[in-house]
Order: sequence, then structure tokens, then C-alpha cells
Amino acid sequence: MKPLNLIALLLFLAGAVWVLTLSERSVREIQATYFSAMSQFLKSGSKLETHARDFVKETTHSKALEAELETIRGEIGRLRIIESRFKDLEAENAQMRSALDFKTTTKFDIVAARVIRRHPTTWWQTVDIDAGEEHGIGTQLSVLSNEGLVGKIDRPDRGRSSVILLTDEKCQVSARVEGTPEVGILSGQRGRYDGTPLLRLKFLSINANLQKGQRVFTTGRGGLFQPNILLGTIESLEKGALDSEALVRPSVNFEDLDTVFVVLSATD
Amino acid sequence: MTLFLLLAAFVVQQFLPAFTGFHHSRILLVQLVFLCCAVTVNQPTMLLLAFVGGLLWDAHSALGPSSGDPAVYVQAVESLRFGYSVVLFAMVGFLMQGIQPLFQRGKWIFSAILTGIAVWLYLAAEYAFINFVRGDFVFNQATFFFFFFIALFTMLLSPLIFWGLYWIAKSCGHTIYPEASRRKKRTQ
Repeated sequence: MKPLNLIALLLFLAGAVWVLTLSERSVREIQATYFSAMSQFLKSGSKLETHARDFVKETTHSKALEAELETIRGEIGRLRIIESRFKDLEAENAQMRSALDFKTTTKFDIVAARVIRRHPTTWWQTVDIDAGEEHGIGTQLSVLSNEGLVGKIDRPDRGRSSVILLTDEKCQVSARVEGTPEVGILSGQRGRYDGTPLLRLKFLSINANLQKGQRVFTTGRGGLFQPNILLGTIESLEKGALDSEALVRPSVNFEDLDTVFVVLSATD
Repeated sequence: MTLFLLLAAFVVQQFLPAFTGFHHSRILLVQLVFLCCAVTVNQPTMLLLAFVGGLLWDAHSALGPSSGDPAVYVQAVESLRFGYSVVLFAMVGFLMQGIQPLFQRGKWIFSAILTGIAVWLYLAAEYAFINFVRGDFVFNQATFFFFFFIALFTMLLSPLIFWGLYWIAKSCGHTIYPEASRRKKRTQ
């Protein structure tokens, strides 16, 4: 081996060791520098993707849109009824809290954001949204859509943030099955790349008796997600030797994700 | 010059969306430019490109650490260590340098095919790492096609990158086919 090649190889190995042993903070600083240098190009790239998506949407057949409008009208009616019932319950709850001299501690500040980029990385199920630190967004905050839980903030930058989706294996959520005592950990599955893949609900009891269509909600445990956020519905149940696992169809259509809401704070 | 080309690839990569109809596969332009450059430059330059390329690629795609109450989230899902791409880039870079003599004789078609194979190996290594740190080896049909389409789409673009490198070298008074140029001069 030529001396120059050997020196280059040794320098490279030293550099590789240095990078591999960087602290989490240093990594985040490098990422922040990278994304701030790339911000203009990211913005242009996102605009291009958004325009392309809007164009495809506009060309959707008008009859399909009319049918969708009718469905939405029906849904609005249903939600109005639910909302009025919810307001009654809220008033009743406030009365009870007041009666019990409970200090109101619940706050629910949200920021609306638009999905500007989908799947920017090879392996991870992530999207970028057009709201960041300047909107008060920090790491690990819940991201919701009107259909349910979308995911959590992974990396906030100044004017944009990266959201790790519920369909990613790394996004774990403590979940419960409606009408049962079953609780488990819900996450995406590895090796699923298309559309809205099924999620896996692990660590259920061995005697879990679940029916297809039963709804799955967040428990609120674990310090990440607020309770009672809809996650999906049970698709099937797989019994194991020590525990059971269920496949869950997510309530959110991740293919058609457009506007999302970041929960800034739910509790103080 | 190759370093600037690699940085330019990072910029263009931001404009390349995933192909939703093909298992969300994508063109890995950064890796492609690196592989094409690796076959045209000497070893120290290749290692410099591998270091810069790998570092920036990880900055582009690394996820944050898992969080939440460990009493609830008992099995934390690990991510790949920041910097692994530096090593992977160098490994596929050495692979490309293995056929450098053939490339220097002007037989670029072998290098073009090897870029596809190298991208496939790069993805396979990444996927193997993910399986290793997370446990439960999973390899399904979707994963196979995901690898296949990425390698194919990336490989199909390689002649364009080689052509670009050829013209950049020519405009700087160099050649990326020194053996072929010498032979051509001898026959003239």
C-alpha cells in the first residue's frame, strides 16, 4: 500500500471513530447546521412536491368530490351532535371539579400545520410539516389529525419539523382496547412501505378476547401522548405462547395526510 | 471538483420524491454520485468523499432517541448509530475502486452495472444493521422489491453521472479514462 493511501486510511478511520462516538447533542447540532444550510432547497423541494400533490388532487373526478362532500356533510351533522354532547359533559365535569375544589390543570394548545414533504428518508416513516420552533414546537410532541394520532415530533427546526409517523416501528404508543382491560404497546411494522400499513399491538394478555372492529385508544401512560386519542381498530388477533398480539388498522389515512395538529401542551 | 458534485447531489436529492407506486422506492442520487466519483478518483479522495457524504447523509436521515417512561416502553426501539453511513460509503467506495482498471480503459458499462449492485449491497447492509440492532429478522417480498427498484432506478441514472464526470474532467483538462486516452494517442 502506498504511504499516502495508508495515511488517508488512518485519517479516515480516526474520523469515522470520532463521528461514531459523537454525543446526542453534537449530532443534533450537526443536523441543525445541515438543515439550516439546506433550508432554501428544502423549501423549494417541498413547494414542488406540494404543487404536484395539489395538481393530482385537482384532477380528481368531480363526481368523486361531490360524493365526498355529501359524506362530509353527513359527518359534520354527526360531529355537531357529538360536540353538543361533549359540551354538556365538559360543563358537568367543570361543575364537578369545582365542587371537589380541584384546580383546573388541563390545557390543550395546538398548532395547525401542513404536510409539506413525505418520506424524505429511505427507511423511516416520516413527514415534514411547515411549523417548527418558531411556532413553539419541541421534540416528542403529539401530532394529530381529525382522524386520530398521526405520530410525534422527532426533530423541530426553525420553520419546519420532522414527524415520525405512527406507522414507523420506532413510534411506540401505549394503547388500550375499548371495552376491555387490555393494554399494550402499539407500533408500526418493519418491512412495510406502502400506503397505510397495519400496526402491531404487542404485550396483550394471553387470554385477550378481542373482536375485529374494536377501537384502540391511547392510554396516556408513558409521558408521551395524551389519553383517549383514537389510534385505529382491531383487525385480527394472534395468540402466542406467553402473550397475544393484535394487528390494528390505523384510523388515519397516511397516504392522504394534509393538515395536522401539533399538541403543544395538554397538561402543565 | 468531485466534492462540489457530491454537495450538489445533496441539494438535488431534496427535489427527488419517493415513487409511491413502487413501494416508496427512490433514486439515491447522493450514493450514485459518490459511487461514480469513487471509480474515477484515487483512494484518499474517495475516503474524503465517503467521510463527507456519509456524515451529511446521516445528518439528513438520523432519527432522534427514543423517549417516554421506560417503565411503560420497556423495549426501546433502537436507531442506527450516527456515522454508520461513513463506514458504509467507504465500503462500497472500495468495491467501486476494485474495477477502476477496467473503467480507466474506457469500459464504463461495467462500472454502471456495478453501481446498481453496490446500491443493492448498501441497502442490504443498512437493512441488516437495522435488523441487528432491533432484533427479529424480517425480510419480506416488499423489502426485496424496495431494494430492487431503488437499485434499478439509481443504476439507470449512472450513465448520466458518468457523462457529467467525463465533461467536467474534460473541461478541466483531465480525463477519467487515462488508459483509453493513452491507447487512443498511440494509435493516432
